[in-house]
Amino acid sequence: MTSSAFPARTSGRRFHFLFNRAWQALWVLPLPAWLLLFFAVPLGLLVAISFWSVVNYRLTPDATLSAWRYVLGLDFLWASFWRSYGLSMASAVAISLLAFPASYAMAFVAAPRQRLILLGLAIAPFFTSYLVRIYSWQVFLTEGGVISSVIQAFGGKGESLLNTYFALFLGHATLALPVVLIMQTIALANVDRTGISAAANLGARPGAILFRIILPAARPGLTLGLLFAFLLSYAEFVSASYLGGGTFQTLPILVTDLVRAGQQWPRAAVVSLLMIASLLITAFVTVLWAYREKG
Amino acid sequence: MPPHLKHALPKAFWVAGLALVFLLLYAPILSAVLFSFSADRFPSLSMSGFSTKWYAQVLTDRAMLEALSNSLTVAGITALIATALGFAAAYADYRFRFFGQKAVLALALLPPTVPLVILGLAMLAFFSRIGIAGTLAAVVAAHVVIAAPFAMAVCRLRLAQLDETLETAAQNLGALPHSALARIVLPHTLPAILAAFLITFAVSFDEYVISWFTGGLNQTIPVAVLTTLQGQVDPTIHVIGTLSFSVTLTLVLIALAVVLRQSGGAMSKEETS
Amino acid sequence: MTNTHLKLAGLAKSYGTFIAVEEFSLDIAQGEFIAIMGPSGCGKTTSLRMLAGLETADRGEITLAGNRIDQLPVWERETPMVWQSLALFPFMTVRENVEFGLKMRGVAGPERRRRADDWLERLGITTYADRNVARLSGGQRQRVALARSLVLEPKVLLLDEPLSALDAHMAIKMQGELKKLQRELGITFVYVTHSHSEAFSLADRVVIMNAGRVEQIGSPQDIFLRPRSKFVAQFVGGISLLEGKVSGSEGSKRFLDTRDGKVRLSHSSGLAEGAAADLAVRADRISVTVEPGWGENEIACTLVSEEFAGAVVNLHLATASGHSLVAQLQQRDLEQLDASIGARVYASWHSDDGFLLESAQQSEPGPKVRAA
Repeated sequence: MTSSAFPARTSGRRFHFLFNRAWQALWVLPLPAWLLLFFAVPLGLLVAISFWSVVNYRLTPDATLSAWRYVLGLDFLWASFWRSYGLSMASAVAISLLAFPASYAMAFVAAPRQRLILLGLAIAPFFTSYLVRIYSWQVFLTEGGVISSVIQAFGGKGESLLNTYFALFLGHATLALPVVLIMQTIALANVDRTGISAAANLGARPGAILFRIILPAARPGLTLGLLFAFLLSYAEFVSASYLGGGTFQTLPILVTDLVRAGQQWPRAAVVSLLMIASLLITAFVTVLWAYREKG
Repeated sequence: MPPHLKHALPKAFWVAGLALVFLLLYAPILSAVLFSFSADRFPSLSMSGFSTKWYAQVLTDRAMLEALSNSLTVAGITALIATALGFAAAYADYRFRFFGQKAVLALALLPPTVPLVILGLAMLAFFSRIGIAGTLAAVVAAHVVIAAPFAMAVCRLRLAQLDETLETAAQNLGALPHSALARIVLPHTLPAILAAFLITFAVSFDEYVISWFTGGLNQTIPVAVLTTLQGQVDPTIHVIGTLSFSVTLTLVLIALAVVLRQSGGAMSKEETS
Repeated sequence: MTNTHLKLAGLAKSYGTFIAVEEFSLDIAQGEFIAIMGPSGCGKTTSLRMLAGLETADRGEITLAGNRIDQLPVWERETPMVWQSLALFPFMTVRENVEFGLKMRGVAGPERRRRADDWLERLGITTYADRNVARLSGGQRQRVALARSLVLEPKVLLLDEPLSALDAHMAIKMQGELKKLQRELGITFVYVTHSHSEAFSLADRVVIMNAGRVEQIGSPQDIFLRPRSKFVAQFVGGISLLEGKVSGSEGSKRFLDTRDGKVRLSHSSGLAEGAAADLAVRADRISVTVEPGWGENEIACTLVSEEFAGAVVNLHLATASGHSLVAQLQQRDLEQLDASIGARVYASWHSDDGFLLESAQQSEPGPKVRAA
């Protein structure tokens, strides 16, 4: 491995070499092996299934493009693709903007000790009962729910806010905010303080420092936050169903419907692959932009 | 911000932004806790009274208790395997230079970016082919895939703070590889391993899409919630929510306390030095 | 060397196309203090790591007391090392750190403790035995690192820039202690450093490396007074170089024809007439005067700058052809020299103080890369 000019060695060296290799393999291999078997193979199977056919409601191995042709020819597929993509992008931008002041406060206003506690509290909800939190929002947003009661108390109409984009956005924010907060805060906290002081020393005012020093320096982290907000919103299907109330037919809902109603596995596979392709392209472009260097 | 410099907008603006975000994050949690003690069937601000009857209902519901047992089993086994695999991968990346190292890293970080619906679909197809669809083993196999990257990240972060020469120094003093690992690397990484266990437990305990797809009739708690969600308004969701919040929040906050305390030095170096 | 104890023969190490060590051979006697020095990337640390078994040599052999050790894994080499970062185990006490190697060798508890305590006392750190290593000063940590290696009673101790983490004052103090310890114990020390003062004041022999090769091996005096190559001369510093061609002779003396005129040589080391050669003269052997005619070899120069260095002053001179010379003067000699910057002065030296470098071949510092 290290050299091709290995002269003949004694058996001691040979044994030592094999021992090293085995010891190393013991640590290197387990995770990739598990991921190959239970992640790469299933995804590969999904690709294969997209070329299979359904005969008498039974999935049958085949080599046909019919599922691809069918799905790509659907008008409502493209409509829901662009709707999914556009809504998730809008949510990602809105979530990033919403999170920014908070991240700034954690990075620059809070003392280091407070920052750690706040970060802990910000990320904790990410791991806790997402479904129940969505249900809570339903209670808040529904007609006669918490928000409409408050609005009525102030003399408003107090209609249900469910099935609106605002409701869907709340769902996306519930999911993605913790991740965006973490990424933004770490990016901002790592901006070189000496650079900030140097800019001020050269005459930059607070506004210029924010826009010309802090934001450019934190760009990779801020952009990755945006990307993750998009990834999570794009894949999300519970709030689209229960907060958006089916007004927003998104791709994940389409996928589950195709399988649950009618065993249309190949078509569901095609939609899934389209989703993955669009995710990868978006991620690739975003990461390139995030780490683009000047000059 | 260095102390002698002003913020672009008043401090109050940034702090208000922080408060708003925390309100959004914790309002749903607090409301679930509040309404779980409501005597009313329909949650509203004008609560008629305090009651623990929904708790009694959940805790005597056999299906719910079975779901809880399923959830604990799956999360426990998932956390064990995911933590072991995650630590191994983190240690391998820290300690060795090997062919395909970047590829392994990329593969390990990929699962969290793939939509769970698609993973669920692919895994259901795969597990049906090999005949384990609908079993808890299938759910565990799938949960390890999504949880192990978290374990790896937590352990790798901790290992990054371990002086790379320490392990070789131990070998230089006569320690065999396994004994250098046990005496130098493990004591250092132990808090992260504990944190990884708690976080992977929480990830698995809270996951519903893949469990729903691949678990068949073996419902876990979140799947039970999902099924309830599709039906009528049901106050027991608030109870389940409150119970799950207490479990997962406790686990995650302990884990974070451990992780953040270690990396505290790195995060706040610029101000404390 | 007759009583060779540790022998490194033809060690080589490459990483891909980068040659870290091209060829390293060295015979070390029992109890010798060897310093290996050179610019960063010269291969000195890689050589030491091959000795410790932390790198596998592509070629070559290492024998210790007659036994091949290059096939042994790290943990069987018996060549403990004092690391640049010290590499103390942070979650162990001082005593646990010192006991570590004994524990790995299966030494029983009470015996282990006795031997560790012996060394703690010997190095004057008994007071800190039960302390966390993180709460020690630089000098104390240094002693723990030494005790941890020496408690194993090794035949060879490897030291990789061991004093670089200390402040200047402490480093000088530790230098003295290291030298004393090494003399008392009679252990072979192999000491890698980039510091001239450490290498020259501590070592019995100094190895100067450049671009993966050994440039010169010799006693500190040898290397200081007689650098063999242009690289060593420049690395050691304080030496002026004049390029020229050997031409003509007068009695036992020969001449070197430089662009600034002919100078006499007393050692011509058998170079042929017309051969290109570099003449080296130490700065403290060059005299500077405002009037010509004071010395055997004399070159007219311009005084470019004065560099104050404590008791002495370095004068930087430029010859008409662009050679630069350095002359080291005592402070009081400078006071007598009535010359300001830009003035015309004369540099002169005795023929015996000039010596020819072995080869005029290029030996530029910096990493070498093998053609792929």
